[in-house]
Formats: sequence, C-alpha cells, structure tokens
Amino acid sequence: MSPQRNDLSASDKELWQSLATGAAEPPPVDDMDFAAWIEGRVSAAEAAQIEASVAADPEMRRAALDIADVLGKPLPAVPEGMAVRARALIGFEAERSAARKGFWRWFLDWMAPSALRPAAVTMAAIAIAAGGFTMGGGLGASFAQQQSDGNGIQKAGSKSEVSTDISEFFASDGI
Amino acid sequence: MVDLNQIDLQALARGDKRSWDAFVGAAAPLINAMVRRALAPHGLGDEDVMDAAQDVFVRLCAQDFRLLKTYDPARAGLSTWLAVIARSAAIDHARRRRRPTQPIDEVPETALGVEDRHVEKLKIPQGLLTERQTLILRYLYDEEREVADIARLLKVDPQTIRSTQHKALLRLRAYFREGTG
Repeated sequence: MSPQRNDLSASDKELWQSLATGAAEPPPVDDMDFAAWIEGRVSAAEAAQIEASVAADPEMRRAALDIADVLGKPLPAVPEGMAVRARALIGFEAERSAARKGFWRWFLDWMAPSALRPAAVTMAAIAIAAGGFTMGGGLGASFAQQQSDGNGIQKAGSKSEVSTDISEFFASDGI
Repeated sequence: MVDLNQIDLQALARGDKRSWDAFVGAAAPLINAMVRRALAPHGLGDEDVMDAAQDVFVRLCAQDFRLLKTYDPARAGLSTWLAVIARSAAIDHARRRRRPTQPIDEVPETALGVEDRHVEKLKIPQGLLTERQTLILRYLYDEEREVADIARLLKVDPQTIRSTQHKALLRLRAYFREGTG
C-alpha cells in the first residue's frame, strides 16, 4: 500500500497534517488592512489575499483570534497609573511652546494676536513708573537730591584742593 | 468617560492636550486588555503589561503622531485598529524581554537528542483549496481551535465553518484518490 493510500484512510486531522500547502509565501498584511479584514470590511478579492497571509502565518492566526475575542468581551479595569503615564506623554500647548521657543518668542507670540495686549502692557508700565516716582518722593525730593549732590561735588572739590596742596608740599621737598 | 468614537481625531493628530487626555481615558481599557492577552502566554506580569501599554501610547504619538495619522476611519473602526497596534507592540515587547538563550555546552546531551522522523509531505496544489478553506483547516487542525471561535472571527454561522471544512476535506480526498488510484 502506498503512503498516499494510508493518508486517505487516516482521520481528517492526520490527512491534513500529512499535507503541505504548496503556495508561495504571501505578501505581508498592513495593520489597517488586517483591521478591516477582522471587521469584515474588505472586498472578496482583498479578503482572499489577506486570508492567504493569515493562513500562512501562525502568529497572524493567533492575533486574529485574540483580537476578535478581546473586542467581543467586556474590558477589565485599567491598572492605576497606566492612564496617568500615558497622559504625561503629551504636555499642554503652552508648556510645549515655551519649551520649544524660549521666553522672547513666547512673549511676542502672546502679544501678537490681540491689539489690547500692547495697550495693557503699556498701562502696566505707566502704573509701575508712576508708583515708583511717587514712592521716591516726586519732583521735590528729586530737587533736594540734586542740591545735596551739588554740595557733595563742592566738598569733593575742596578735597582735591587739599590733595593739590599736599602734592605741592612734597614737590617743594624734592620728593 | 468619553467613548473612542467620540474622539476628535483631527485635534488629536494636531497634538491637542485635551483630546489626547480624552483618548487615553477611552483607549486605555482596550489597550490594557489586548496587551494583557498578548503577554499571557509569555508569562509576563503586571509590570510588563504597564510597560507594553506605555509602548503602545508612545508609538501612537511618536514623530508628531505619525502612526495615528495612518488610521483611516473609512477602512475600520478605531477599536479594531488599536487592538491590532496594541497586540503588535505587546509581541515586540515580549520578544525584547525573552530570556537570553542558554549556551549549548550547558545543555545535557540527552536533551539535545532528536529522533529523525522527517517525512516528505505531499503538496496540496495551488488552487485546490480556497484561501478560506485553507485558513479554516489550519485553525481546526494546526491550532486546534473551536468552531465557535473561528465562526466569530469570520462572522459566519458555526454551521458554515463545518460545511467549509467538509467540502475542503472532500476535495483533498478526491484529489489524492485520483492522483494515486
């Protein structure tokens, strides 16, 4: 009896396992196409192509069943921290812009969109200047300060006279 | 919690923080379940599930959301596509975590002895079985999967799976009987 005859009398599983599919290695399947096939949203021709690839690859066969199974069941609770870690991957736009552009670029960007912003900045600058001026005692104090500075200059002048006299004294001694 | 279908994908692809946060909240349960399932046969625990899930999120937002931008809502639902991406990332993670191989000198000789039982298999000619018939026979005999699981995957009635299996076997028997008779 030939081996073929033995195979034919064997059980269905043994028959299958004694055979090898002679097809050439099918092309790899794109993730998007694989997802579409799992959902049954491909044409008959596309389905045949994808099924040839899935049939030829044990990993893809397991993937298809796993995915269909997970999608068809209620999902378990998410461990604490998983979402927190994932959310931290993306920062707020302001944080990312500041990190990318530096302060002055950020400041100019902030100023640009609205005409009110330069006005607000000007008003703030005037208020700060006026506050500082008032705290410093105004024009009266400024005048008094000038006077005081003038005396200081005079005193300094008399000091320089003294120092000139001392120089002359040393010079007369031939030092 | 926001549903995955309610996520503004355009805002998400632009890097909008609020959309990303909403997306993470909606996608985390599915990604967690898929990663957990993919890692289970590899004996990897909760810490690896966390790391592999983070790998999925990193892949999605890396290089200015390049991967996320390849998603096409007209082709498949976001959940299915995410499950495909998550499983793929989890398998890559498991491969990276695979234990280093043992040097061959440390393996006992008895463990290396392999009986030569190589038998030349008969080739099924191309076109004898349809791709679907081949797939179903592989699931039934190579993977030993249940008819109900295959039917759920292929979105057909379990009876259709049995009928396809029966027709495929009839073709095989007929071909090899004729070829040898």
